[in-house]
Amino acid sequence: MSAVETSAPTASAPARAPGRTPWMTELAGALVGLLVLALLPLVVGDAYGRHVLIMVFIYAVVASNWDLSLGYGGVFNFGHLALFGIGVYAYSLLTKLAMMDPWVALVASGVIAVVAAVVVTIPILRLKGIYIILVTFGFAQLVMQIILSQSDYTGGTQGIVRIPGLYWFDHNMVRDAKFAYFYIALAMLALSTLFLRIFVRSRTGKSIVALRDNEEYAVSRGVSLVRQRMITLAASAFFTGIAGAFYAAYQRNASVEVFGMSLATIVLSMVLLGGTGTIYGAIIASFVLTVFAESMADFGAWRPMITAVLIIVVMLVYPGGIVGMLKALWGLATRRRA
Amino acid sequence: MNAIADILFGGLFQGSLYAMMAVGLALVWTTIGVFNFSHGVLMMLGAYFAWQLVDWGLPPALAFPLAVLLMAGAGWLLQATVVRPLIGRANLVLVVVITTLAAGSLVENGVLELWGPRSKQIPPLIAGNAMLGGVGVSLHQIAIIVVTPIILLALWLFLNRTRLGLALRAVAQNEDAARLVGLNVTMLYGLAFAIAAALAALAGIFLGGYRFMTPVMGADPLLKALIVVVFGGISSISGPIFAAYLIGFFEAICSYYFGLYWTPALLFGALILTLMIKPEGIFASRSRGLA
Repeated sequence: MSAVETSAPTASAPARAPGRTPWMTELAGALVGLLVLALLPLVVGDAYGRHVLIMVFIYAVVASNWDLSLGYGGVFNFGHLALFGIGVYAYSLLTKLAMMDPWVALVASGVIAVVAAVVVTIPILRLKGIYIILVTFGFAQLVMQIILSQSDYTGGTQGIVRIPGLYWFDHNMVRDAKFAYFYIALAMLALSTLFLRIFVRSRTGKSIVALRDNEEYAVSRGVSLVRQRMITLAASAFFTGIAGAFYAAYQRNASVEVFGMSLATIVLSMVLLGGTGTIYGAIIASFVLTVFAESMADFGAWRPMITAVLIIVVMLVYPGGIVGMLKALWGLATRRRA
Repeated sequence: MNAIADILFGGLFQGSLYAMMAVGLALVWTTIGVFNFSHGVLMMLGAYFAWQLVDWGLPPALAFPLAVLLMAGAGWLLQATVVRPLIGRANLVLVVVITTLAAGSLVENGVLELWGPRSKQIPPLIAGNAMLGGVGVSLHQIAIIVVTPIILLALWLFLNRTRLGLALRAVAQNEDAARLVGLNVTMLYGLAFAIAAALAALAGIFLGGYRFMTPVMGADPLLKALIVVVFGGISSISGPIFAAYLIGFFEAICSYYFGLYWTPALLFGALILTLMIKPEGIFASRSRGLA
């Protein structure tokens, strides 16, 4: 119970028990899900509704990538939002100061986030549990401090405004009720999810789960803790950085608020609420939490308080998260039928 | 002479604040094995309680201890609601991080709603200023420098010389054994949180006495306390105390010679170096437990 057991990164999930979903079934399910999402603009016609959905997709990318390092890798990485923030600022600076093409900057931001992830992995390679939390948390704060201190370039606390947005040939993306941004965001989520699912089903993915579940055994079987941990964090950084860049391109301004605790808390609760080690759980939870938060927009200052209470209650009542809950329901339903 | 006095005073003062915060974190970590991310918010809440009591007309000599006592209760309540029900969960460390963060956000927004965003200040422990080695300092800060070691010594005596303190250390060392010999582990969990919250409240009152209070005032001290416990080794009480003063001095030296902006970066660099060389903290021995 107490401090000794920090060695076991136990963000455990009920996911891999008997009967792994065959990949054909999963692919079919994912395609259906994608189709449903792609048809949503037909139902949601107004710019505001689409804006909420775009935010859902951004959160979903960040949360599901976080799930890769946190849920699958078992690395208590608290600097994930810093990778998102690095994406935001990388895109802003590249397009605004270096005059880079927005699409190139988008991909470059992902690469920069990967580099940052590798840098932050170095000090945590041989650390465990709580120490990883502390160092990665410190890393996020450090990045924020650096951005604040370099106010000549980053605007300090003022942030950066009028960041160049993305473009699609001659299509006017400002006056289409967020039609184009919606599909770009959806494409980003689809690519990210595809990447994550292939990654966790690969040999590397299995080896990082092995490291999480039984480090000594995995290491004794020849899995390199150092290498796999670095791969995991770097892999989770790429689409996180891109999501940050997209966020900057979409909002057209950047501020250090993206490094703040409140955003980190919300995204982390998406990971945990969905159920760690599932990828899809984080995506579903992003949807649920964002729509929930938006529907309470009238509550003003009460909104973060209600969200906080909701997070606590779910953590107390449902440890397996939404996916765990769905699995239990599914099990119940199939048993009835049989 | 001026520079030395400046650094010495700044280091002692910051170190005192960090020590008060870090000890609370370490106490909770060693006994329960969780990390309280709402510790900074507890500090802030303690300061606001004190302000409210003074505002209602209580003399500070009465208001401050009362606020600390109230915060001890709040700490107890916190662990009873968002920590204790989770004990036994496989991913306890992670889940408690998120529940304490959420509880912190709840309190922070609650304070903002209740007391508003306008900055407040509570009366200093001792009013007035003095000259010390060519540096003008407030008596309030001097009082903090003097009082903190006394409080920490009292805590040390409590943990090492009283039955209750020994019981806390027993839980930290081996919870199952502690339960076997009939210690009320649940109660001791609450006690650890109550003491930690009371210490955080004291730090908040100290801070609120010379700087304006805001609902987010606890964020920076929490971060520094985190650095301190990593630096000093989290699984003891004395380690973080020494580390707190060390970090205090480090910060005072850095901000004197390199400026305020570079201090966090240098601090973090030092932290990474420490972790790469000695991951368990520079003052930690290999064994665990409260000492």
